[in-house]
Amino acid sequence: MRDWRFTARQLAKNPLSLIGVILIAIFLVIAIFAPLIAPMPAGQTDPYMIPRDGYWAEPRPPSELHPFGTTQGQYDVFYGVIWGARTAFRVALIVISVSILIGIVLGSLAGYFGGVLDEVIMRITDIFMAFPWLILAMALVTVLGPSMKSVLIALCVVWWPSYARLIRGDILQVREEDYVEAARGLGASSARVIMRHVLPNAIYPALIMASLDIGAVVLSAAALSFLGLGAPEGYADWGQLTQFAQNWIIGPMNDPLKYWYAVTIPGLFIFFFVLGWNLLGDAFRDIFDPRLARR
Amino acid sequence: MEDLIRIRDLTVRFHTYEGVVYAIDDLDLDIRQGETLGIVGETGSGKTMTALAILRLIPYPGRIESGSIVLLGRDHQSGLELLKLKDDGMRSIRGNKISMVFQEPGAALNPVYTIGDQISEVFLLHRRQELSDRARHQLDDLISNRNGFAASVKRPFWRWQRRLYRKIAQDSHFFEPRLISRLPLFRRLLWRLRNEAELLTVNMLKDVEISDPARVASLYPHNLSGGMKQRAVIAMALACSPELLIADEPTTSLDVTIQAQMLELFRRIKVDKGASVLFITHNLGVASEVCDRVGVMYAGRLCEVASVEEMFLHPLHPYTKALLEAVPIPGRELQTIPGVLADSMNPPPGCRFHPRCPSAMPTCQQERPKPKEVSNGHMVACYLY
Amino acid sequence: MELRAYIIRRLLLLFPVLLGVTLFIFGITMLFSPIERASLYVSGVREFSDLPEIIARFGLDRPFFMQYGTWINQVLHGNLGWSFVVGMPVWDAVWSFLPATLELAMFAAPLIVFMGIFLGTRAAAHKDKPVDHVTRILAISGWSLPTFWLGLILMMIFYGLIRGFLPPGRLSVPMDFVVHSAGFTRYTTINTIDAILNLNGPVLLDALRHLILPVITISTVNVAFIMRLMRSSMLESLGRGYVLTARAKGLSERIVVNKHARRNALIPVITVSGYVFAGLAGGAVITESIFAYKGIGWWAYQAASRLDIASILGFALFTGFLFVLVNLIVDIIYTRVDPRVRLGGTVQ
Repeated sequence: MRDWRFTARQLAKNPLSLIGVILIAIFLVIAIFAPLIAPMPAGQTDPYMIPRDGYWAEPRPPSELHPFGTTQGQYDVFYGVIWGARTAFRVALIVISVSILIGIVLGSLAGYFGGVLDEVIMRITDIFMAFPWLILAMALVTVLGPSMKSVLIALCVVWWPSYARLIRGDILQVREEDYVEAARGLGASSARVIMRHVLPNAIYPALIMASLDIGAVVLSAAALSFLGLGAPEGYADWGQLTQFAQNWIIGPMNDPLKYWYAVTIPGLFIFFFVLGWNLLGDAFRDIFDPRLARR
Repeated sequence: MEDLIRIRDLTVRFHTYEGVVYAIDDLDLDIRQGETLGIVGETGSGKTMTALAILRLIPYPGRIESGSIVLLGRDHQSGLELLKLKDDGMRSIRGNKISMVFQEPGAALNPVYTIGDQISEVFLLHRRQELSDRARHQLDDLISNRNGFAASVKRPFWRWQRRLYRKIAQDSHFFEPRLISRLPLFRRLLWRLRNEAELLTVNMLKDVEISDPARVASLYPHNLSGGMKQRAVIAMALACSPELLIADEPTTSLDVTIQAQMLELFRRIKVDKGASVLFITHNLGVASEVCDRVGVMYAGRLCEVASVEEMFLHPLHPYTKALLEAVPIPGRELQTIPGVLADSMNPPPGCRFHPRCPSAMPTCQQERPKPKEVSNGHMVACYLY
Repeated sequence: MELRAYIIRRLLLLFPVLLGVTLFIFGITMLFSPIERASLYVSGVREFSDLPEIIARFGLDRPFFMQYGTWINQVLHGNLGWSFVVGMPVWDAVWSFLPATLELAMFAAPLIVFMGIFLGTRAAAHKDKPVDHVTRILAISGWSLPTFWLGLILMMIFYGLIRGFLPPGRLSVPMDFVVHSAGFTRYTTINTIDAILNLNGPVLLDALRHLILPVITISTVNVAFIMRLMRSSMLESLGRGYVLTARAKGLSERIVVNKHARRNALIPVITVSGYVFAGLAGGAVITESIFAYKGIGWWAYQAASRLDIASILGFALFTGFLFVLVNLIVDIIYTRVDPRVRLGGTVQ
């Protein structure tokens, strides 16, 4: 385990990772201070529902009242993207924590005990990974009824196999290490060995993968929302905002980019959010790669 | 004996995150023509780095900070400064005039190409002219001696090929332009070169005592045993009859019986090829078997250099003596060298060995002892002399 | 192990995979009523008129495994059910939409693989130099882009801003007419190939024009991925002993990188490329939907969002089959590239 000072210093040295950290910090601030930046209008109960200024389909350009304009159905883009940051963090956190949990349980069982259990669990993960994730997620969401909860469930179902595989692989490696033998030789029970010796070492790569995955999770959630499967209409979700803009990407003959704000702004938010996490994750990967020795 | 390589004031440093590592510190060393010079020392003493420095293959973040390495010999009477050579100059030396054999033969061979391919590569790179000549002679033979209808049809084609090969012989860079040499059609035309290279390869394998060399040439590295792999690597290194062969711990990863055969091979190389050998090892026994002269390195510096008999019978430097003492003898209690290896980032001042030296004096801490010739060819860097 | 025996052995693997995949999906579909599931067993619209009869005949009210068995039986007789989203039998739907996706994959896959390998090698060979940094930024940006958004922006610019330059869909209306007319023989229903075979230039150009944006959209993310993978694989390869040996032989840096290091680095990249291709062939749902490109992904999306169960199951079968096939091909390619790997055995 590298010392944290070295890690922090490496992160600071690398301009790309620095940009990533800054981006994430910005989004964190936006998410935390959402109620202040884009206050919920009086009379509304659920802050995650975007306020509508009317019911016309045609988006309106940015104005004083609507800094980023309104999209189809007169949903305020500014409000949507600000609260969308909260949604993104929520979705990412929940999906990844649950997936890691399931992955730890199943991965440990498979990796530590091996044998038939291992085979069975591995075949199951094979099947899940073979199937195109989007179709699986779509099917699940449609069956369960479109809602944020179904999206979360669907994404967890799609995501856990890769963590289970990863943790299983690491456990297989760590299992053979000497200190595990030693612990067993001293009479420690299997559970104790797993919890205290094997897991802490095996989980490290999983954490790194998690940081890389946050971006991917948010992209998938956005994709599902874009396809209309997910958050209820009007929910502050970046993917959905992009979907609203779908019919308006091309304006009239003389002004084809008339509604640029409707599609560009939500997309940019998604892009920079994911970019920030990917930059960070990439820097992490370089720092923790055992093959690349310290300079 | 005349000198082949003269190393003077060589300094190699590594600029790592944690600090500067002094891998080689002001080294002076001569390698004479036709001799087998051994370099003995513990891990981290700088022996491998010396070898890599000669070939200028020091890996990043290391750098040759200063010094000179001069190559003499039949083609370079006035001396060729290796450290000042441009890239392509150095590349024509590597594998050709100076070649190297590494410790792990398994790692040194590329798993996706056959043994024959990898050895032929050296011939195709450095001996294009010779291969072209041989191809031409073959074609001459075909043109003059083959008769019959098929031959007369092919004859103009052969003539054209012969001209092609003559051009290659004259200017070995003729087909270098990448685009041309990439076209499959032209590559086909050069098959004769590859054939000739293959013949030479098989001969080379025979030279290193590999039985059934033709078959072995078609095998992949993972099909061979450790000893055979090492022989193949040696064949690759000796292919162009280098003036200097550097062997970095060539026997360390092999088991003892194979080791003995390998040493025998090295002795034969010395006799047959007349090449100089820089033999790096940490095993004194092995050094005594193969080498004419031996040098002892510690912490990037040379402590003592002498002929093999001198070194083992009359070791002068305390480190050398300690090393010899440390060789286990059954029935005698194991002697060790007290203290720890010098920290390469923060080496002790003055003589590097003084913290562990039983005969250390106050001067040893202050200034580095200069190498002094004590008797004929026997050199020590120690204040005791 | 002999190649043919190996292939047969691997194809047998199809069954457990297909079993697992379909069992799972079938299980989910059991959440629906028998009426909705009737489409699984029907092969023509007319048959829908007598639902109670279908329910009775195929035992749609019997326990799970019996139903699964019945369905398997149907499948083995060639009846995959009726896809109501496109109004044709599922089997026909698969074959009707597959060529479009294959056409997309045909252009995207080489682009992805070769660009990825080329850029990755460059980045690794010039590590920490400008080339490395630039490609790294491009790669990370590439895979941070939401595919759907990229598609929309590209359309906005190249179809909206530059009026009608690169339109969505597979063919423009007049060309579509040509393709379906008597003078044009549809050999493969892959427009570009058919156009070449028919020596019809305008159709070829039109098809290509429609392909540009979807191919770029779908390639961007994947190129980034392969590029990074190739880079790290190359870096590992360049650190190996045989690279040092190659340099010690006097080989130029270019040959060391391209001949010695790269061949070894390609090995893990090949597997991943295989999966990328499988993903492409399996249908890029989002890209196809945005560009109204009627391929298998488009069909699957329609089916999933409207709960066309027969289609979903048919698609699941198709994907499972594709997965096993691609795995097999990748393994065979492996043995060509890495001499240490033997068919059916492990690395020695």
